[in-house]
Amino acid sequence: MTRQAFIIARREFLERVRNKWFAIVTILGPIGMIAAIVLPAYLSVRSVQEGFHVQVVDRSERDVAGMMDIELDARGVAFKIEKVPPETDLAVLETRIRDEQIDGYLVFPKDVLTGGKVIYRGDNATNMLVTKGLSSLVDFAIFRTRGKDMGLAELQIANLFQKVEFESKQTTGQGEATSGTASFVVGYAVMFVLYIAILLYGVAVLRSVIQEKNNRVVEIMVSSVRPISLMLGKVIGVGCVGLLQLTLWGLMAALIITFREEVLGLFGIPGAGAFELPSLGAADFAIILIYFFLGYFFYAALYAAIGAMVNSEQEAQQAQTPVMLMLIIPVLCVQIVAGDPRGGVAEVLTQIPFASPVLMPMRFLLDAASTAEILASIGILLVSLFGAVLLAAKVYRVGILSYGKKPSFREVWSWIRS
Amino acid sequence: MAVPLATPKFSLRLSGVGKRYGDFVAVGDLSFEAPTGVVYGLLGPNGAGKTTTLRMINNIIMPDSGSIELLGKFGPGPAAAKHIGYLPEERGLYPKMKVRETLAFFGSLRGLRGKEATRQADVWLERLKLGDWHGNNVQDLSKGMQQKVQFAAALIHDPDLLILDEPWSGLDPINAEVLKDIVSAQKDAGKTILFSTHLMEQAEHLCDHVCIMAKGRKAVEGPLDELKREAAAEGLIMLAFRTSEDEAQARTEVLVQPLVESIRGERDGLLVQLADGGDSDKLLAQLVAANLGIRRFERQQATLHQIFVARVGAMADAEQEGRLADD
Repeated sequence: MTRQAFIIARREFLERVRNKWFAIVTILGPIGMIAAIVLPAYLSVRSVQEGFHVQVVDRSERDVAGMMDIELDARGVAFKIEKVPPETDLAVLETRIRDEQIDGYLVFPKDVLTGGKVIYRGDNATNMLVTKGLSSLVDFAIFRTRGKDMGLAELQIANLFQKVEFESKQTTGQGEATSGTASFVVGYAVMFVLYIAILLYGVAVLRSVIQEKNNRVVEIMVSSVRPISLMLGKVIGVGCVGLLQLTLWGLMAALIITFREEVLGLFGIPGAGAFELPSLGAADFAIILIYFFLGYFFYAALYAAIGAMVNSEQEAQQAQTPVMLMLIIPVLCVQIVAGDPRGGVAEVLTQIPFASPVLMPMRFLLDAASTAEILASIGILLVSLFGAVLLAAKVYRVGILSYGKKPSFREVWSWIRS
Repeated sequence: MAVPLATPKFSLRLSGVGKRYGDFVAVGDLSFEAPTGVVYGLLGPNGAGKTTTLRMINNIIMPDSGSIELLGKFGPGPAAAKHIGYLPEERGLYPKMKVRETLAFFGSLRGLRGKEATRQADVWLERLKLGDWHGNNVQDLSKGMQQKVQFAAALIHDPDLLILDEPWSGLDPINAEVLKDIVSAQKDAGKTILFSTHLMEQAEHLCDHVCIMAKGRKAVEGPLDELKREAAAEGLIMLAFRTSEDEAQARTEVLVQPLVESIRGERDGLLVQLADGGDSDKLLAQLVAANLGIRRFERQQATLHQIFVARVGAMADAEQEGRLADD
């Protein structure tokens, strides 16, 4: 890096870091993270604790609903189960839901013991805790009735349906196994943070180029330094701000995760902090930061070129679409990688330079990427990065000084070839 | 701080420089030399190619042909930029940067090292009476103050060649005076100053040398004194009569072809251009013979404006008048 690129990078870095928005976003980010964890838990725990009022239309003529009464606490969800006459019109119950007198109703059909379908309708049916809780309540009531019909004693029935403890953990045969869900959650979170950070800081470079053009500083800049130094300085300066912010967020996230029980406790959510999270080690953070910086650099160079081609942020909206798409495609493929991190599609996707920065760290966190694969993808990314910078520098060199009309595709092509 | 250069005879030499945009010739085959230590004016109406020329000198655009030599040893580029101060026609600073940091930033981009950049920033802020504003963001400053910061940004690294593109455009009278002082001080320090303008009056007061451009080409070039003397020798006479009757009679009987080429009414008389081969003694003799009351008969040194008009021609003149009326 030339001395001048360094001076420019320092200016970009200081101007951004000193901006009050940097402090605000840096602090608000983790608060958002906490809110994202705590708020849904808090809300669902609260309503779950208050209990749901469910009315039952039992058409089985066997009082299956009566069998539910004993076991009212299902999966930590409290239900207030209330029988209504079997001939009750369902429209009346719908009205009660609308009037918020009840949360929902269950219907046991006549043949419920021989395979008839139990129906639940309620304004909380999207809540997994509610449907799972209700379903286990209904299961148990029916199993008990059937057991009685077979002549089993209450104790025998209780033994038969004693809860089975089940544990699932992610492993690839090497390293410590962690909770499957938790690995996915963390991998997904990292993918999302990388996507947002690359997009955010890539666009910051784009805007910085346009602003420099608009307030005409660019003329004095280009007369003082090589355009490539100007571009590199800008990209590196903004990128360092991103690195700093990600590092700060990482530290804060580590703190929050370490003290998650205390944090959740502050909001009165007992036991909810007991969920298992894979611990992020130094290697994980290193991989995240490496891929951020390379991915950011790749995209920022393209954004700089686009900034040089256009004259206003309005024009940029349109011109940046191709780059946006490149960045969104890997996000759309996240399910494939998360679903089968060792599969062929995931292997290919994490080698593609415009997708690997977002997807590879996630695969790495899921313990599905070999060292060779990581080195290969970093190598490919570096080579593509070099190409992107060269290409962007050519467009930048000519575009940066062209005020006025937006260049046509043909003109941009001729800049690249010149 | 830039390493001092051995003083070259010419700070700037252009030979055969050309720049086209498609079929449009922005600058065609332009050659001139600015001796070290002079104030050099690049003059011409808008669209004459002045800004394009200055941009080529500052490596912002590349000439299609010809060569540019700076300070005896450089071509346009970052190495030369360390010895050159440049005030672009399009002014601009980073609005959210502090004033002192802005100056230090531009200083270090053009070669000042570390603390020296900050020190020079303070020197210039003091000199331009902006010391109290060093900690403010550029956007907090008035437009006039921002202009001063812009001058300082061009001068902070003590350049040997100072290039100013239309420096007076948008300047209030006070800052115009500040700028004049800066130019004089630079000249006294042995620096070379090149500026472009379409305002002949400013150029006339400041320039040692001028190059007048029109339609991308050089119309005339040389030391201002010489150009003026040449114009005088070409027969420009300021003439005033005692009465308007005398003047009217002179206009019809004496001030005609083949002796006189043209007459223009000025505030204090008639500016008479003698025809080719016309003789001022002969004109005076005829006026005396006609028994006209003469109040003034003076061989004129042409003003820069007159030289400009004569050289650039009637069409450019019309354009110029129009623009001056606009200003």
